[in-house]
Amino acid sequence: MSRVLCSVATRGRYFTTLPLVLNAIINQSKPVDKLVIFDDNDEPKDMRKEFMYQYFFQMLDIKGIEWEWLFAEKKGQHHIHQRANTMGYEWVWRVDDDAIPEPNVLEALYSHVGESVGAVGGSVLTPPYMPATGSITGLIDNIDSEPNIQWGVIEKEKQVEHLHCTFLYRAGVCDYNLGLSRVAHREETLFTYGLHQKGYEILVVPNAVTWHMKNPDGGIRSETKKEMYEHDEYLFRNILAYRDKTIVVLNCGLGDHIVFSHVLPSILSAEVFSCYPEVVPGKSIAQAIELFGDLDPWNVYKKMDQWKWKGDLESAYRKLYL
Amino acid sequence: MIIIAPYAQKLRTDKENPKNYPYWEDLVKQIKEPIVQVGVGGEKQLVPDFKKNLSIPALRELLWQCRTWIGVDSFFQHLAWDEGVPGIVLWGPSDPLIWGHPENINLLKGREHLVENQYIWWEATEHKKERFVQPEIVLEHLKE
Repeated sequence: MSRVLCSVATRGRYFTTLPLVLNAIINQSKPVDKLVIFDDNDEPKDMRKEFMYQYFFQMLDIKGIEWEWLFAEKKGQHHIHQRANTMGYEWVWRVDDDAIPEPNVLEALYSHVGESVGAVGGSVLTPPYMPATGSITGLIDNIDSEPNIQWGVIEKEKQVEHLHCTFLYRAGVCDYNLGLSRVAHREETLFTYGLHQKGYEILVVPNAVTWHMKNPDGGIRSETKKEMYEHDEYLFRNILAYRDKTIVVLNCGLGDHIVFSHVLPSILSAEVFSCYPEVVPGKSIAQAIELFGDLDPWNVYKKMDQWKWKGDLESAYRKLYL
Repeated sequence: MIIIAPYAQKLRTDKENPKNYPYWEDLVKQIKEPIVQVGVGGEKQLVPDFKKNLSIPALRELLWQCRTWIGVDSFFQHLAWDEGVPGIVLWGPSDPLIWGHPENINLLKGREHLVENQYIWWEATEHKKERFVQPEIVLEHLKE
């Protein structure tokens, strides 16, 4: 059975909603293999000294659930999620620090995973609940015209193109966009849409309800700077504008460009950004940074390192782009 | 005529690129054929005929004039592979199974000399002569 990491990013909620979240995770009908809490507080505390947390940690030990409390870098939750994404687990269940899953949620989400599945989400309900009217597609093209499908009660399994807030996902396949600002606006939409673009199914499923107690205090997204949201929205719109293309970024050496040139004919609708346009024609790397922010998802060396790659460079490029 | 492409890309630090073959001077003395060196300005000249900063089309054309070529793990081995002209690559800390091409003669002294992490910046790796094969071994393969 695949191993599942549960990742919780927290800020400013030690004594409000975080304990509810931890309790809910500990009491899942399908236990997680490991719980990692990323503490992004400005003044982090040693929670082993807090009686309520002492009980939580003991409960985790008694249940045989590995746990770790890590201090985050205050760069935003996308950096935290990317750390979880690359911790070596096959699946990551990401849970917000004010999102309380019912006891069966992980079991329900996990029951839908398969080889073709990239992410599974359930309902994320915020009281007072007001059901949306009309059908909701969950397609990226409709993101401006319909509410998120997870905000309503999901009656049956459905394929969508992006998810929101909390979900179970296949780790190590797609990167979080680290070019986003600290507010990480649209981070989960970009991430799950990225999984969709890689060819994986993105599912919403019934009987997996998480209660989102939108806590006005604290939260990993507590920044309010308008410019940050505008910056992230700009990157988001750029990435969407290229969604029918395969973005290729060759921020690498001349020899790597030559090797890549053997892969290029196999890529459908490539939009290339290149350091050596005389070898692989394309737009500049500066343009890629301007449009997409973070180029790490296309860094073949980082990918080869992440994959513990032992094959040749051309095959690595094929894995990255095909 | 034999082409030599002796040097890997200059590092951002002043350190020598750990992929550079340490015995070029000994090697070129023992080669009894005309040699053309290719590379960029600032690199050490090893033979009288040093063609600097050639364009890629010019390098491709030159490749078709040589009997074979000798290089290190640099862009030149990829260019020659792309052009379909096999040669000899002198390997040190980088892994020919990852960065090389089986069409070439890849001379690696031993896999124990490879750096464990092949994906770090080469600035982090020290240049060590003992990682490379001796010129005599290169000459044996040059005869083939």
